[in-house]
Amino acid sequence: MPIVAARLSHLVAMAIFALLVSVAFACVGRHTTATRIKYALVSFLLFLAIGVGIAWLMYPLSR
Amino acid sequence: MAAEAPLSESHTKQNLARPLLVALAGWAVPGLGHLLLRRWGRALGFFLATGGLAITGYAMRGEVFSPHSSDPFGALGFVADLGSGIFYFVAHILETAGPDISRAAGDYGTRLIAASGIVNLLGVIDAYGIARGRRG
Repeated sequence: MPIVAARLSHLVAMAIFALLVSVAFACVGRHTTATRIKYALVSFLLFLAIGVGIAWLMYPLSR
Repeated sequence: MAAEAPLSESHTKQNLARPLLVALAGWAVPGLGHLLLRRWGRALGFFLATGGLAITGYAMRGEVFSPHSSDPFGALGFVADLGSGIFYFVAHILETAGPDISRAAGDYGTRLIAASGIVNLLGVIDAYGIARGRRG
């Protein structure tokens, strides 16, 4: 089953990583479906916010 | 209160055999350990997370480390990659184009493949703990 090489942007790659790791963390950290969904959502948003925040902090270094 | 009778050696071995089998199953096929314990939600979650990370990493042409790596980071990468169980062994089928770490996407793909293995190892530890009765 060959997979076509994906041309993902860095942001999309980070979002996929954040989503899947958040799902795994929610599975380990919480016991009910409702709390898992809430935990995964908060974790996902924090991943994104911190990732984008660090990117903006590093922006002056790239210029 | 009556004193507890000491566990026999065969009973102890039997008690350890099941958690080890669950851990082995969970490593070989992500989520299978939880499936054996009838934890459907966790089984699905770990399968999707591990499989999704690995397949995305392969699609981005990340590097899959071999056991014969010459440097320590390569050896650590191999351990991390091997953690994803079946997804490591089918890497050559899924990543037919081979790795391309000359691009940033390929480098990110390498990290996603390693993360896939680490996430599955987390699932293996969780399933083992549940089978031992240490986790809910």
